[in-house]
Amino acid sequence: MGLKMRYLNLKQQIRDVRKLAIRGIAEAGSGHPGASFSAAEIMGGLYFRKMKHDPLKPQWNERDYFVNSKAHSAPGFFATLAISGYFPTSEMDTLRKLGARLQGHPVRYSKDQEKHSVPGTEYSGGSEGIGLSVSLGIALASRLDGKKNHIFTLIGDGESNEGQVWEAAMAASKFKVDNLTAILDRNRIQQDGFTEDIMPLDPVRDKWLAFNWNVIEINGHKIEQLIEAINKAYEVKDKPTIIIANTIKGYGIKHMTNSPQWHGKAPPKTHIPILMQELESEFLVAPSIIAGKRENYEEKIRIAERCGADMIHLDVMDGKFVPNVTFFADTIKKLRPITSLPFDVHLMIEDPIDHIQDYIEARSDIITVHAETCTDESFSKISSELLKNGISPGIAINPSTNIPVWLYDHLQEIDVIIVMSVNPGSAGQKFIPDVLLKMRTINQDLREHNYAGYLEADGGIDAMTLRDVYDAGARIMVAGSAVYGSSDINGAIIQLKHTANVALERTLLENATQIGTRLDWLKARKHILIPFASELGIEEEIHAIK
Amino acid sequence: MLLSNERKVADMREAFGQTLVELGTTHANLVCVGADTTDSLKTKKFGDRFPERMFNIGIAEANLVSIAAGLAVAGKIAIASTYAAFLPGRCLDQIRNAICYPNLNVKLIVSHAGLSVGPDGASHQQIEDISIMRAIPNMRVLVPADATAVRYLIRRIVKASGPFYVRLARPSGKVIYAEDDTIFEIGKGNILREGKDATIMACGLMVTGALEAADQLEQSHGLNCRVVDMYSIKPIDKELIERCSRETGRIVTIEEHNILGGMGGAVAEVTSDTYPVPVKRLGVLDTFGESARDDEISSLFEKYGLSVKKIVETVLQFRRIDRK
Repeated sequence: MGLKMRYLNLKQQIRDVRKLAIRGIAEAGSGHPGASFSAAEIMGGLYFRKMKHDPLKPQWNERDYFVNSKAHSAPGFFATLAISGYFPTSEMDTLRKLGARLQGHPVRYSKDQEKHSVPGTEYSGGSEGIGLSVSLGIALASRLDGKKNHIFTLIGDGESNEGQVWEAAMAASKFKVDNLTAILDRNRIQQDGFTEDIMPLDPVRDKWLAFNWNVIEINGHKIEQLIEAINKAYEVKDKPTIIIANTIKGYGIKHMTNSPQWHGKAPPKTHIPILMQELESEFLVAPSIIAGKRENYEEKIRIAERCGADMIHLDVMDGKFVPNVTFFADTIKKLRPITSLPFDVHLMIEDPIDHIQDYIEARSDIITVHAETCTDESFSKISSELLKNGISPGIAINPSTNIPVWLYDHLQEIDVIIVMSVNPGSAGQKFIPDVLLKMRTINQDLREHNYAGYLEADGGIDAMTLRDVYDAGARIMVAGSAVYGSSDINGAIIQLKHTANVALERTLLENATQIGTRLDWLKARKHILIPFASELGIEEEIHAIK
Repeated sequence: MLLSNERKVADMREAFGQTLVELGTTHANLVCVGADTTDSLKTKKFGDRFPERMFNIGIAEANLVSIAAGLAVAGKIAIASTYAAFLPGRCLDQIRNAICYPNLNVKLIVSHAGLSVGPDGASHQQIEDISIMRAIPNMRVLVPADATAVRYLIRRIVKASGPFYVRLARPSGKVIYAEDDTIFEIGKGNILREGKDATIMACGLMVTGALEAADQLEQSHGLNCRVVDMYSIKPIDKELIERCSRETGRIVTIEEHNILGGMGGAVAEVTSDTYPVPVKRLGVLDTFGESARDDEISSLFEKYGLSVKKIVETVLQFRRIDRK
């Protein structure tokens, strides 16, 4: 919600954390993928955006502290530190090996432990239930010293079985430490099974409220909710805050999700290329609210959010660059407080450089301008202005436009490229099939030029065309009429996601077949693949697997 | 070595409390964490003087030592203090993982160690702590013999970096040492009395008994025993132990602790590694203690094998072995 988080770039950094973590775990042959993945957004949001820290000066006196109390999330934690710049990402291959700095559970960095720890690690974890107390000590010391820093602690729900967590909870509220924020990774799974079977933690919110903490509950995989919650925690006085982050263990790799057996198990090395592909294939559905009747935008946004949309796509048309007029920055500003979903603002206007400030002030999360309306010079100004404000810069091209040559100089700063599959200007148009080849070519070309951002498909996207644009490389799907033209909006969004998931599963299975691990992959993935079996044509094969 | 000639007794906790206040003035980064025993441990004095640097976290020892660890992470010298029965009794894992593993600047200072807790009985009589604490890497273990030793050792550990465990006794004890700053060093033992026939090594309240036993052995049996205050159990004075082995050929140890793994165990480890001589360890014979009124403490000691008489007997027994 206009959180200055450079949303799409943050998502990619977190994706890279998952990739690095799972590679490290597979290389080590052991480790905890489940917890590394449930907490990936939490750690990424902190290290890549919210925390005051400096990898070049790990002992900086005014730094924020991160205490990783559920330290079995070590692979995810180490990957986050590596991508932050504390040590080379290549070192992840040494995880859990003899003589490595990356121990099974992170060790607090100090001179006498420098052979077994990496800079940036504040806390030696491994024994559960201690970190919150240690964080409280750091918070008390920081307050004594009059520092303006903040102390973050990641705790687990299994870990919350430990009585010491509640000793610390009591003490933190006694000492009114508002410089302390705990984040509970509520993934509902611990080593022996589901938390509510092993030792029920609910009603967890009431428990923390009763301990007199400020309690904020979020979806822990929605970074926009996390960032907003941390901002709120900063505002609270005389109370510690706990963010209850509802998460999914193993989130990011489907067959590892919600499964106690993946709490502490490594995937086989042979699966790594397929797992990398899956992590790279995460997609976002962004309903475009100008579809259908141009009214009641508030209600459309609320419905989309309820039905699982990932972002809201806002088409700004000025009647000059395109024939129609929709709305401008003032409308976006009014819509902004309705949702925390990121606003994907698509400016179909002439001279966007003259108006860009209005859309920044309207608290957009992504702002895409048309290549046809920019020059190298004007886009440079736009993108640097956006980056300065923590907004993801995007560029759009019409069906008949090619990637302009000057854009290649900007590939590192662009987070999204929209390849229009209709001529912009009105909703409800038919998909132009020729665009598919263009999208595929552009995708290939851009990747060769080290473009790491997203490709977004916009225009005529429905359950039929989505599969094709997915295969062509698009990972953000703008859906207008397919969503708002349907009498069952929830069903329509589910259908779109299902289509993309079928395409994803097909690609992964093809890949597994190519590298000779088809049967093994089918075994590992069986419970995920069953609902897709008929569409993938693997019904007999999958049911034959024991 | 300057020994006190005065016949006075003093409270170790009182000495600890006063020293903390003194150190609080010179060390702005000294903080103290208590667990509902601050009046008893005399850390309240520090809290009264520096209220913003005193944290009473209630009856929660795991939290006590872990908060101290956090304070040390952020640059403080953290004192965590309560009864020996519960620290380390209830927080071994936290001491190991949150303090010793990262080698943090936390000083664990406990009182009411050993049988001399008295009336509270075995639940409160901590007789395993030396053994447990000295087995953890990075931890150092000190057992002062009197209030003077407390004052000097507390000053020493506040100046030294890293974790310490310092074990005080509840009852007031005889003042052994005259005031002199040079006589206490971490990793050293003090020879309180020279001798060549045997060495009696003691720590804590047992040092007084060792000196008495040496007197009796001289007066009644004509034996000349060396007495060592082995206040630094880890690191231990290997050089001194080897020297005593060589020069006196016999060692008797006595401590208010289980016979297993305590100071006597540490001494025996060194002699067997360096210059093996017979070592007889006196302590509680791997059993729990029991209640005794404050005026019955010496009888309690006697019942559990911690008496002057026992030391004398043990040394004499060594002599008989020699004659064979």
